[in-house]
Amino acid sequence: MISNVVKTDLVKKEGEVICCTDVTCPVCGMSCDDVEIELTPTSVTTKNACLMGDAKFQELRSPHRLIYPTLNGERVSWQEALEAAADILVKAKRPFFFIGSETANEAMAVGIEMAEYLGGLVDGNATICHGPTVMAVQDVGQVGCTLGETRNREDLAIYWGCNPADSHPRHMSRHSMYMRGFFVEQGYQGRKMIVVDPRRSPTAAQADLHVQLKPGRDFELLDAVMVALRGLELNPDTEKVTGVSEETIKKMAEMIKACKFGAIWVGLGIASTHGKHHNASMAMRLTQLSNDYTKFVILANRGHCNVAGFNQVLSWTCGFPFAVDYSRGIPRYQPGEYSCVDALRRGEVDAMLVMCADLGGHLPKKAVEHMMNIPVISLEIAPGPQAFVSDVILPGVLDGMECEGTFYRMDNVPIRARSFCKPPFDFTESNEHTLKQLLKIIKEKKPKE
Amino acid sequence: MDIILNTGSTVYQGAIIKGGNKFSPGYTREAGYCNISPEDYEALGRPWFVRVTNEYGDSVVVRAKKTNTQQKGEVFIPRGIWANTVVTPETESTGSPRYKNLPVKIEKCDGPVLEPEQLMRANYLKGKVDTGKKYLDRTTGQAGH
Repeated sequence: MISNVVKTDLVKKEGEVICCTDVTCPVCGMSCDDVEIELTPTSVTTKNACLMGDAKFQELRSPHRLIYPTLNGERVSWQEALEAAADILVKAKRPFFFIGSETANEAMAVGIEMAEYLGGLVDGNATICHGPTVMAVQDVGQVGCTLGETRNREDLAIYWGCNPADSHPRHMSRHSMYMRGFFVEQGYQGRKMIVVDPRRSPTAAQADLHVQLKPGRDFELLDAVMVALRGLELNPDTEKVTGVSEETIKKMAEMIKACKFGAIWVGLGIASTHGKHHNASMAMRLTQLSNDYTKFVILANRGHCNVAGFNQVLSWTCGFPFAVDYSRGIPRYQPGEYSCVDALRRGEVDAMLVMCADLGGHLPKKAVEHMMNIPVISLEIAPGPQAFVSDVILPGVLDGMECEGTFYRMDNVPIRARSFCKPPFDFTESNEHTLKQLLKIIKEKKPKE
Repeated sequence: MDIILNTGSTVYQGAIIKGGNKFSPGYTREAGYCNISPEDYEALGRPWFVRVTNEYGDSVVVRAKKTNTQQKGEVFIPRGIWANTVVTPETESTGSPRYKNLPVKIEKCDGPVLEPEQLMRANYLKGKVDTGKKYLDRTTGQAGH
């Protein structure tokens, strides 16, 4: 069926200029699939991409792109780099495999296979992103929908602890607030917006109601909204605890009851603060309760492209969404023990493979300190903190541009990303290909007993 | 002064990191600052630079920005290596560090804000004579095209 609607003439070559439509953006969790590209030997012009998306596409012609492998900062051949990487991983007693995002599911699957083969720990970007929200999904269950449904139906958007104006620049214009939908023909005039955020973010500045709570009081505020929804008396201390007046909480409850189709978009404001997955569980319970009065869904604003894909791939591989340990030959799941930050902080990891993630820049200092003490292998495309902490650097390929792949959007809908050009080197075709070559050498060096 | 630190993304910081410019002055401009409410800004003595220190004693110097977007008692530093110097690794058994709602101390200081590469060296190469690791900076980046 799909083959009937998929366009085939998307990539056009006129001399050295490559034009491509319907390109999937490999930057944020929205995976916008309407980007248009004009690629010349020296420049990249994008249409429909946001500031972040355009910056990523500019990497195709950037002057700093890593194009040859390095070992301890020295240029080496591809084979030498792979051998060195395989040696590090084979000798390690407790290797850690960090599967980043902005890469395709196919590459992730090979990374996970490698972790299973060597009996290592495996974790992905979800752990430092919406890991707690995923735990809440296991705890409570998610009433979800696709982005197409929110685009066409949603008349109340609650952005809870997120700031899509900055983190997902096209979110409000494509999928929620400003889009004219099938059932919301008036566009933004037919939709209402509540923003729950302790700071007055650019998103909050556009809201019909900005609920400025005290930091770390999401659980209490969600509970209070549920009480107000049920029509019960609020605890007199509510305002003192949450920093939000009783009047505002009741107004939120009224707006929830008055809407026809509401969506709570949760961000890291609830997952990274005190309370973690309990906050997300409460948000999901609020969604379930709201369905007694109207239609309501909850969706996580996943920050990175295909970070949802890691949860999906690991789940279909071993049944768990992140933080898995294969050291006993069977997968064991324990966030807080096998998760990246915790394992590094305790200093139990003795080698690390990091694909397509900048852990040097995005983990807390205490965790990165341990990375400096152990051999680190990275699939990386640009110099930066991750290259700084790496011993072996294998040049990465830009999925969705230089090779095909499948991305999971933040509503867990898989999107096939097309390629329109080739990588600037010939030793690998994709990150999947790189990892397959590495796995082959590992299997030769350490055959299965 | 005791204060609550929140970190998070901004679209300009996002454009820098997605463009692979993490070792550029632009990264310092877009991620090496701290938004402070007008009341706290006055209480700190109208600083140009502030030093933010966490419970472990790790500290980082960032530019101070007075802004109306913050509530009193809270500051905001964009996601990046400056913020992550003070983010603590406690995950409450979830794997996710405390990127938000982190109690820290903040004080006026004379600067300077370290450039990304300097900060990485100061944080991770301090006291280590030979780690066996070499780093790649922007100037030695491999010119691709």
